[in-house]
Amino acid sequence: MSFTATLSHNGRTALITLEGELDALTAPMFRDEVERAAEASDVNQLVLDMTKLAYLSSAGLRGLVFARQKMPDEVQIVLVRPNDAVEQSIRLVGFHQSVVISRQVPD
Amino acid sequence: MLELILVVSEPSSTADRLCDLLCNDGMPSRHATPTMVLTDWQLEDGVPDLLLVSATLGMDIVRRVTRRIMQMTIRPPTVVVFADDEVVDLTPHVTAGLDYVVPPFLPRQLVSRLLACHFRQAMCRTAEEIQTTADLLKYERELQIGREIQAGFLPEELPARAGWQLTARFRPAREVSGDFYDAFELLGGARIGVVIADVCDKGVGAALYMALIRSLLRHTAICMDTVTGSADNIEPERDADATLLLRSVLATNDYLTTNHLRQGYFATLFFGIVDPSTGSMVYINCGHNPPVLRRPGGDYTLLGPTGPALSLVPNSVFAIGRAQFEPGDLLFAYTDGVPEAKDSAGRFFTQEVMFSLIAGQVGAADDLLDLIERRLRAHVGSAEQADDITMVALRRQPNRVTGRRRSSTAPSAPAKDASVSTTRSPSPGRRRAKGAPGTG
Repeated sequence: MSFTATLSHNGRTALITLEGELDALTAPMFRDEVERAAEASDVNQLVLDMTKLAYLSSAGLRGLVFARQKMPDEVQIVLVRPNDAVEQSIRLVGFHQSVVISRQVPD
Repeated sequence: MLELILVVSEPSSTADRLCDLLCNDGMPSRHATPTMVLTDWQLEDGVPDLLLVSATLGMDIVRRVTRRIMQMTIRPPTVVVFADDEVVDLTPHVTAGLDYVVPPFLPRQLVSRLLACHFRQAMCRTAEEIQTTADLLKYERELQIGREIQAGFLPEELPARAGWQLTARFRPAREVSGDFYDAFELLGGARIGVVIADVCDKGVGAALYMALIRSLLRHTAICMDTVTGSADNIEPERDADATLLLRSVLATNDYLTTNHLRQGYFATLFFGIVDPSTGSMVYINCGHNPPVLRRPGGDYTLLGPTGPALSLVPNSVFAIGRAQFEPGDLLFAYTDGVPEAKDSAGRFFTQEVMFSLIAGQVGAADDLLDLIERRLRAHVGSAEQADDITMVALRRQPNRVTGRRRSSTAPSAPAKDASVSTTRSPSPGRRRAKGAPGTG
């Protein structure tokens, strides 16, 4: 399935833009970007832009959990515009308590 | 074997001499130009086992000619390059790893040399095949290990109670996921615990994590049991089952988040404790797909999450849910693999279809699971099953006595067909209670 995860930095924010389906096959790509984001010093916020994320499987959820554990506890994780099904998966499992869900990319 | 040699080059005296030499030594050979092979070659012209190509031909031509012959046969031909006068022409071909022959071309020596090249290349191909087979076997072996771990942690028998049906279906995917289900007696037999869970990953890692969770949960639930005597005449303390439920889930979550947080695994889980004499159930749903409690009329409620998934967050807070089984009520619990089963076009089975099947079928637990299994199989068709399919159904049988309502606290009369869970299915690739040998 086609999937891209693109990392960019803006000040102290690391932004990963997700597109396509995040599942068992594509999760390693996402993890690689999270590792790279974690390498940068001085990151205080990780933003995951999910506007174009079509689908999130349980393996994809595990990728999100990995991101939460990889980042230091003080780093806030923001999920931007997950679609209904994706948000429902995240809420069902209880992960919404560990992140912020937002309608727009924070500055 | 070497049955036909094809000399591939532009017309030249060397090419002719090679053909003559080989034919005189009893080795059938022909000459053809590259153009003849690429444009005009048919099966009737013969399928050569060995191509003797001129070093003056570019490597691209050699590759294309080889590919053209390969289209006609299972075994790739042996390729050997010959130089006429300019031995230096050989350089790029030899660097690319091709065998070669140089003049003078002598009777018997040439044939011997070509045979040696032929056998050497055949042996190299065999070695590659052996390596590929070994890699495949190793991968299959890992799948097998994952499946064995998984099979070892599913219950051999499901507990039986008069007036109740408890049954399960488990169809593992090829690559082992982390689904499991469990059922066991608690509080001296006065209660039945039912578990369904999904570790979010695939492979041997998920299977091991599943084994850990299953063991922790069972062990802490049974250890925290406050009644050790027989079930007769012993009234468990009020709400002992709710206390037991909460303590065992908390203990499991604490253990996992303390010792395994860094691995990033987590598991969704539904754990219910049922009192078969009254039909009351307490449960905790840790982020799992809400099980369906269906009434005999076909209407149903969903038992939603009462806390987050296990091992997601340390010090999670879990709440207790309560539900009541009236006679005829059925509880259906499942994992992702059911609604997310894909057909060959990639379309999901969907929750909607699953719910409509549950609402529309108001009979025995086994009948419902059989129906869903059949519909799943029809949906998936020849597509490969990507995820484990796990379903558990618990039904309180309807009262048999007509015209009289029994109070829900009186023990229900044993039904004639007190059939339960221990059906052993001989069908390959599917398990009910463990008993039939698991197959992959």
